[in-house]
Amino acid sequence: MDGKVRKPKQHQQKHSGPQAEKKKLKKHGASTETDERKRNPKAFAVQSAVRMAKTFHRAQDIKAKKHHIPLVDRTPLEPPPIVVVVVGPPKVGKSTLVRCLIKNFTRQKLGEISGPVTIVSGKKRRLTFMECNNDINTMIDLAKVADLVLMLIDASFGFEMETFEFLNICQVHGFPRIMGVLTHLDSFKNNKTLRKTKKNLKHRFWTEVYQGAKLFYLSGMVYGEYQTQEVKNLGRFISVMKFRPLVWQTSHPYVLVDRMEDLTDPEKVRIDPKCDRTASLYGYLRGTHLKNKGQIHIPGVGDFQVKDVNFLPDPCPLPDAQKKRALNEKEHAVYIDLPASHVNQLQAEMQPTTELVQSLIDTHATLDAKMAASKVSLFSGSATLDPTDIKQALWDPKTQRERRKVLFAEEMKDDDEEDDEDEEEESEGGDEGESSGEDDLSEEEDNEEDCLSAFLKKSRGDSVKASGPPVKKSKVEAESERPVFADSEDELEMSEHESEGKDQPLGAGDSGHCSEDESDEESEDESEEGCLMSNTVTKQKEEEEDEDEEGRTPCFILFVSTGALKWKENLQLKASQAFLRQQESAPNLRKLVYGSVVEVEDDEDEEELGGLFRVSRPQNNKRFQANDLDSSHFHPDTTHNWDLEEMLNSIRDCFVTGKWEEGQDAATLLKEDEELYGDFEDLETGEVQKGQAIDDDGDNEVEQSEVKMDEEESRKNKRLEKKRRLKERFNAEYDDGDATYFDDLKEELQKQAELNRAEFEDVDDETRVQYEGFRPGMYVRLEISSLPCEFVTSFDPHYPIILGGLGSSEGNVGYLQMRLKKHRWHDRILKTRDPLILSLGWRRFQTIPLYHIEDHNGRHRLLKYTPLHMHCGASIWGPITPQGTGFLALQSLTGIKPNFRIAATGVVLDLDKSVTVVKKLKLIGYPYKIFKNTSFIKGMFNTVLEVAKFEGASVRTVSGIRGQIKKALSTPPGAYRATFEDRLLMSDIVFLRSWFPVAVPQLYNPVTSLLLPIGQKDSWSGMRTLGQLKHDLGIRYKPNSDSLYKPITRAPRRFNKLHIPKELQKALPFKNKPKQQQPKGKTSRDLQRPSVIREPHERKVAALLQALSTVHNYNRKKTHMVQHSKHKEFLKEKGKQEDAKLKRQKEARKKLYRVMGQMDQKKQRSSLKGAPQDD
Amino acid sequence: MASEGLSYDGCNFFRQRLVLSTLSGKRVKIKNIRSKEDDPGLREFEASFIRLLDKVTNGSRIEINQTGTVLFYQPGLLYGGSVEHECNPQRSIGYYLEALLMLGAFMKTPLKATLRGVTNDRTDPTVDLLKSTALPLMKKFGIDGEGFELKVVKRGMAPGGGGEVVFTCPVRRTIRPIQLTDPGKIKRIRGVAYSARVSPQMANRIVDSARGILNQFLPDIYIYTDHMKGANSGKSPGFGLTLVAETLNGCFLSAEMTSTPQGQGDPVLPEDLGRNCAKLLLEEVHRGGCVDSTNQSLALLLMTLGQQDVSKVLLGPLSPYTIEFLRHIRDFFQIMFKIEVQKPLEDERKGGDKVLLTGVGVGYSNINKTLK
Repeated sequence: MDGKVRKPKQHQQKHSGPQAEKKKLKKHGASTETDERKRNPKAFAVQSAVRMAKTFHRAQDIKAKKHHIPLVDRTPLEPPPIVVVVVGPPKVGKSTLVRCLIKNFTRQKLGEISGPVTIVSGKKRRLTFMECNNDINTMIDLAKVADLVLMLIDASFGFEMETFEFLNICQVHGFPRIMGVLTHLDSFKNNKTLRKTKKNLKHRFWTEVYQGAKLFYLSGMVYGEYQTQEVKNLGRFISVMKFRPLVWQTSHPYVLVDRMEDLTDPEKVRIDPKCDRTASLYGYLRGTHLKNKGQIHIPGVGDFQVKDVNFLPDPCPLPDAQKKRALNEKEHAVYIDLPASHVNQLQAEMQPTTELVQSLIDTHATLDAKMAASKVSLFSGSATLDPTDIKQALWDPKTQRERRKVLFAEEMKDDDEEDDEDEEEESEGGDEGESSGEDDLSEEEDNEEDCLSAFLKKSRGDSVKASGPPVKKSKVEAESERPVFADSEDELEMSEHESEGKDQPLGAGDSGHCSEDESDEESEDESEEGCLMSNTVTKQKEEEEDEDEEGRTPCFILFVSTGALKWKENLQLKASQAFLRQQESAPNLRKLVYGSVVEVEDDEDEEELGGLFRVSRPQNNKRFQANDLDSSHFHPDTTHNWDLEEMLNSIRDCFVTGKWEEGQDAATLLKEDEELYGDFEDLETGEVQKGQAIDDDGDNEVEQSEVKMDEEESRKNKRLEKKRRLKERFNAEYDDGDATYFDDLKEELQKQAELNRAEFEDVDDETRVQYEGFRPGMYVRLEISSLPCEFVTSFDPHYPIILGGLGSSEGNVGYLQMRLKKHRWHDRILKTRDPLILSLGWRRFQTIPLYHIEDHNGRHRLLKYTPLHMHCGASIWGPITPQGTGFLALQSLTGIKPNFRIAATGVVLDLDKSVTVVKKLKLIGYPYKIFKNTSFIKGMFNTVLEVAKFEGASVRTVSGIRGQIKKALSTPPGAYRATFEDRLLMSDIVFLRSWFPVAVPQLYNPVTSLLLPIGQKDSWSGMRTLGQLKHDLGIRYKPNSDSLYKPITRAPRRFNKLHIPKELQKALPFKNKPKQQQPKGKTSRDLQRPSVIREPHERKVAALLQALSTVHNYNRKKTHMVQHSKHKEFLKEKGKQEDAKLKRQKEARKKLYRVMGQMDQKKQRSSLKGAPQDD
Repeated sequence: MASEGLSYDGCNFFRQRLVLSTLSGKRVKIKNIRSKEDDPGLREFEASFIRLLDKVTNGSRIEINQTGTVLFYQPGLLYGGSVEHECNPQRSIGYYLEALLMLGAFMKTPLKATLRGVTNDRTDPTVDLLKSTALPLMKKFGIDGEGFELKVVKRGMAPGGGGEVVFTCPVRRTIRPIQLTDPGKIKRIRGVAYSARVSPQMANRIVDSARGILNQFLPDIYIYTDHMKGANSGKSPGFGLTLVAETLNGCFLSAEMTSTPQGQGDPVLPEDLGRNCAKLLLEEVHRGGCVDSTNQSLALLLMTLGQQDVSKVLLGPLSPYTIEFLRHIRDFFQIMFKIEVQKPLEDERKGGDKVLLTGVGVGYSNINKTLK
């Protein structure tokens, strides 16, 4: 190794030989095979069939595991805003985050937010932010409606109970997307601890949610807000997030209410402030289709029947599908509404939004026929709004509509501006109410125009907020004294209550009435003439209030009885009107089916007899005889005459023997096949087989020779074409050979989803709503009557109001059987018959569960307490909820306890109207007479009848002797004869083990937390548990003294003397014979030793000797001690020496062994090397 | 708490109301049941129907007033299981069976119902008809499998009865949506000519006369003769014919006719009966659609109870019973159907107008079925 650096050896490329050949081949691309399998087939050959099977199996398993059950995609085209719930313990920065996010999306600052806020975050996405306070009621309710949960965690403190409680609630009610957000990160001074905390929190969070769940860090505050960049990132995450459907949410319609209005007559409220209220609640419909007049549950309030539902134009619409890459930042509309939800500074800004919506409601409600027009104008109006305007205009488009002001005392503190508006609007309302009948149309049009003009005006960019509403030019009549909201709303309702038959115009959607009156008339005429759909005998009169202004009420007949051959008479007429009918029959049929059924007033055909009795005669003029024969048979009275040839001809095509359609006709199909398969060339022989169709050219042989070449060419082309087609068909049939059941199913569902979307696409919303219900994404208004007054009076916008739709029969109560497990973190087990608050479905309610466990034979045995770490059954009396729905249980809702509040979780298994929980009952009896195996038992029953019921039942004694009840004895009553497998003793106790059915207590007590006064909403308390009651009342349990545990004291056992019979004694060997152990007699006097009595001198000597010996003993002991310690030391010394010696020896040995080893090695080496050289 | 009930007048459509009430869980009150007639109140057969409903449900509450003119029904949960019922001979088993067909798939446990009574009469669809039309229809909705069958064990003619039918139905959690818009062409006609306690020749006479008419259209006709003897023939004499036309797409159209019950009205000649029944079938074909007129309501109900998907069905003219059924569906489930009339084309020879009904299911799922 000199100073120069050694170069690594260069690679020498081979220029000849097999390697070089191979390389050359590769380089020149001779083997273009890119597929490894083909290039190296040996490597992929089957080595072992078993292994092959295994790998195949595994691959298939993995493939199958990826499959989920495909579901029909039912997401609406325009989805409702995504509910983003911000959760966290107090003082963690929830409100700040909501404010920052809103500011991030809209560049608007909101003051204190106390309700849901909806914003547009992107072209296709809207968000509704809702903050969740730490009332467990709110947490439960919001977890049920949340799509995304922002879980705020104070990093400086760590996780708090609220977080875990919320996570558990989510787990039970379907897991929405959860994103963690760490705040208060600026309180860490040390960077290392910060990193460590982050990591710890992240991993704990992951175990709760899923591995890799997103956790966001908000590092610090700047001027009381989070850093813009971080909020921006968070916002971006939210707006691209994908969601998976949750079972409960996709199967139930629900509304997160963002607006509430009291519609109760103020006069009624004045007279009775506690009267039931009617309120309308607004919000986006989510979940699934909502049916009108369905049942809903408002968590915290109760169950209600929806009086009416309407859909309204979207107050916070998605920006139109313009070709824009990103949203103009001013297009991020904001919609907030909950009355009295905003502090003063914002009130002026927010209030007008209400009016926008309000105006839309009214336009919608006043006249259905004008809906389309009004919509157009409004939309065009809003569309024309300048982007710069939207910010203001959205807050303040003052339309000239009356407002249904809530007039209860609490919310009267409106500012002046609003009052002004109210007055104006009231006057409007008045004149609208006045103008009825013929004025209505023109009036509406005027209104529309005004609306439009108002919008346009605004769009010109004046600050509308300050200016008053545009002056109305149309006929303003005198102000009326009618109640404010009596006009438009009523009409709306009327149109829905179609069967009322009042002098109200029928809604367009209800009966299929077109808005044009003329066509209606025509259609009615039509229906009179030709029997429209069915030739029924029943003469059905249907009285309909017409839409005419005059209000005339023509009767017309829909079903007409026609004579036997009547169809023949007006055949021509029918034919001539076929076209017309085609136009009309559809709405007519719809009206026929769903149109208003006007109940004919009972004809006063009751005549009195002697002023006392009434003669009642069966009525037979009613439409669809109410008491007619109930049969599904469709007996046509006027059958066609099937002897006539023309009649027979009219159905000839219904049979396979008739004429087929173009596409299906056998002849055409055959022809096609002929073309396809007709001629083909046998490729091996080169022979051309010709089909008939083309080959049919016998007579023009002359020309054929001339154009032979051309023909050849064309034929070749044709052939090629055909081949291609054949191949395509073959491919289509066989290529998707691996299309599995799963793929088929998926495709089928896909098709269904497309059909669902397409079917009602072109139907206008008004009608569509009737077919499929209100679809999710619509902004709806639900009117609910008979709400408790507390709902309105103690309304707190901080608390979410959720309208949860209930499925069919979910409004009923019954027995539910559930699987329940006490939560691991709850610190005590649960007791049967202690009330428990459950959150199940939409509801929160208190009920009394019975816990039970299933025995191996399917019997449900009652348990006194829940098992500690095991599932058990629970039976409750509660609302019918579909199986598979999860629930959670709490013991109380009040107060803040440091421990975990969720007591148990579980799932509904079964619904039933009866329960089968049993508890063990041991009947005890005593034998009073014992024969061989038969005993007479008493004390178990009281009467002969009772015994008779248990004849044949098996009994058992404590000692395990089994027996059977045979027959009752006459005396004493209740005694019986029983046989046993062995003889009993009088001391035995006889058991009869029986099972007694237990009734589940019927307590269903909905938690009405929303009705509590403001500020006390988290203090709902229902029935108390037994323990609580005892604690509160100071009752101590007095145990049965027999049941107490006492130390076991056993009496010493005494055994009798062993007695061996004399005979036996004799036979025993001496060894085993009992020895004659006679007690020794008294010792004789002479054998007894006399006692010695010492003389005084002797006594002195003895004492001295005693003292001396004591001293001696002491001295000896002392010397011994010294000796002993000396010896110990000596031993120690000796040990040390010994150790040293051993060490020395060891070392010496080691040395010796080493030398010996070396020598050995040397010897070995030398012997391996062969002959020794040096030696 | 409990939902508001519905209230109706009169005993017509009695079954519809009770069945829909059971399925929707809504209470129903029916007033003025024959209140103005000489013999007011519920009839025997209606009482029998209520009893049957009580047998298949658990926890229903039924209240009837003194005169039987007012009925209050609060439905329980459908339980199913093994049920035996003595049907009142005033109406045939079809009357009871139609309701069970509607309820069968939504029970807690698979239903096995043994119904005894009149199997064939003139007012209600006979068991043979339901067997050959309603069952294949239900199969289209996904209600099929091993235990789905209807067996006529004994035949019993009106008025005596004495027949026996066993209906077994499996339980389903959800119902499939259907798209039945094209019935297809009729490929064959089958039928049963039955006779009991009369000469076996009757059935053959019926077959001959029916074939005479139907052969004008189709060669593939086969009508079975079913002559029950001895214990299986019930208590009264009678005969009848059920004809079913099957289309290429698996739709079934049917017609039937039964002899007049003994001692009620003029006796019927078997030839006339066969001819008339064949004409009835032609009438049914003329009406057309994918579902025959008897089962229209069953099809509509199963469409309503499907998932929230669009279902379509092409029907012939709606029968009054169906029209009322549609109204009831709206009352109980708040669902309306889109009704479109399809006119036959000019040169088409496929009978009269058809009605295309389109509806969205309510997303009903069987809440009775136990989760394990």
